[in-house]
Amino acid sequence: MDYFSEGLTKAVALLLALDPETFSAVWATASVTALALAASLVLGLPLGFALGHFRFPGRRVARLFVDWMLSLPTVVIGLMVYALFTSRGPLGEWGLLFSLPGMAIGLTLLGLPIIIAMTATAVESTDVRLTQTVLSLGADRMQLLFATLSEARFAMALAAASAFGRIVSEVGIAMMVGGNIKWQTRTITTAIALETGKGEFASGIALGIVLMLVALVVNLVVGLLRSRAAADYRGCA
Amino acid sequence: MNGPLYRLKDIEVAYGAGEAVLRVSELEIARGGILGLAGHNGSGKSTLLKLLGFLLAQRSGSLEFDGVLVDACAHGGVHLLRRKAVLLGQDTCLLSRSVAANVAYGLKLRGLPASREAIANALALVGLDAGEYAGRSWRQLSGGEARRVALAARLILKPAALLLDEPTAGLDRASTEFVKAAVMAARAAYGTTLVLSSHDLGWLDSCADAVLTLDEGRIISGIEQGGSGTARPGPGSDLEGGHHVR
Repeated sequence: MDYFSEGLTKAVALLLALDPETFSAVWATASVTALALAASLVLGLPLGFALGHFRFPGRRVARLFVDWMLSLPTVVIGLMVYALFTSRGPLGEWGLLFSLPGMAIGLTLLGLPIIIAMTATAVESTDVRLTQTVLSLGADRMQLLFATLSEARFAMALAAASAFGRIVSEVGIAMMVGGNIKWQTRTITTAIALETGKGEFASGIALGIVLMLVALVVNLVVGLLRSRAAADYRGCA
Repeated sequence: MNGPLYRLKDIEVAYGAGEAVLRVSELEIARGGILGLAGHNGSGKSTLLKLLGFLLAQRSGSLEFDGVLVDACAHGGVHLLRRKAVLLGQDTCLLSRSVAANVAYGLKLRGLPASREAIANALALVGLDAGEYAGRSWRQLSGGEARRVALAARLILKPAALLLDEPTAGLDRASTEFVKAAVMAARAAYGTTLVLSSHDLGWLDSCADAVLTLDEGRIISGIEQGGSGTARPGPGSDLEGGHHVR
């Protein structure tokens, strides 16, 4: 166990000393996570609302597709994105492979189905009387969308927190699309995998501590939001 | 503008491709009048109110509101019609926000400011003290209080037509009296046209110009509440208050 306690001590020292290499990975993780989460929310909230609110031909197929995307292995997503961005791929000339934007696109494919599916479920769960009430008070379609999303805000935030947790801890897509390039595309998870392989437990543990703290905060937020969302769905008086 | 507020002719309403659940040969609802709707559960009262509130579209026939044929603008601007004819449905529904925000919500949708005074006045109409209730969360209201807040949220809009679907059902006596008084006060203050459905026939008899009885989706009688209290069973008549039914 000495190597573990030694690694832990060194890890704390690295964090307290604001070790540049460690914080480069933290920064890369924060950047791609923010980009991917923002894209997932911008695309996923309206799509999830449409899927949950409207009845249209092919809706069940669309729902099945989203559920299928949810269960897709991340290495397969990484492989697909790699195939698109590689120099021989259709988007090769965009130079996205081994870049933070390229990683963000891959991670968006991971977060997007989570946002769509959870938003659709939240909108479906919204009391039908709420729709009637908002419409009867004179809302147009956009106002109805915002009112529904506002009423389901805790469920939306729960979806965002879940997607964040999934994106920030992802390793397969980050490794394949990002290439784990030091100072550039090395994230917390890919760095942990690399440092552990090299026997550098201190760096791995330091980054692991950061990731665990993030996971703890996300779980606390998710727990809080879940209870607020459940309270809201007691809904109409 | 003169003429009736609503003019319905040969209307059929159906849910999906099924059989029509409401059929109205001819009905005119006068401006500023009070029309009562009576009938058993499932007789078509709520469907008629949703049609009048533009939450349901007719399958056939013509519906005119305020001199405008509704079909002509149903797709793009139906929300503009709903802003003039406001429905309070049977199931009170409040948004998960404060009482004041609920009361002000309809004004916000219209891009209009909601002053504290206007909110307080609307709450006062339904017998709720703004100082005590305005800041409360919707969670902190009883069923009766929630219904009164929902009514205040409609009264503040001063609509041309206020459509109330069993507004006093399930309320205690005090809340019932507040709702009845508020509805009449709104009509007196704003000239709002009222269409009320209720099983409280005594109330309808006392306040409405005329009461229509529905059964199986059809108007089976129009009962006039004249000064003499005479009743005129059977459709096909001009009714007190300028309403007309056939």
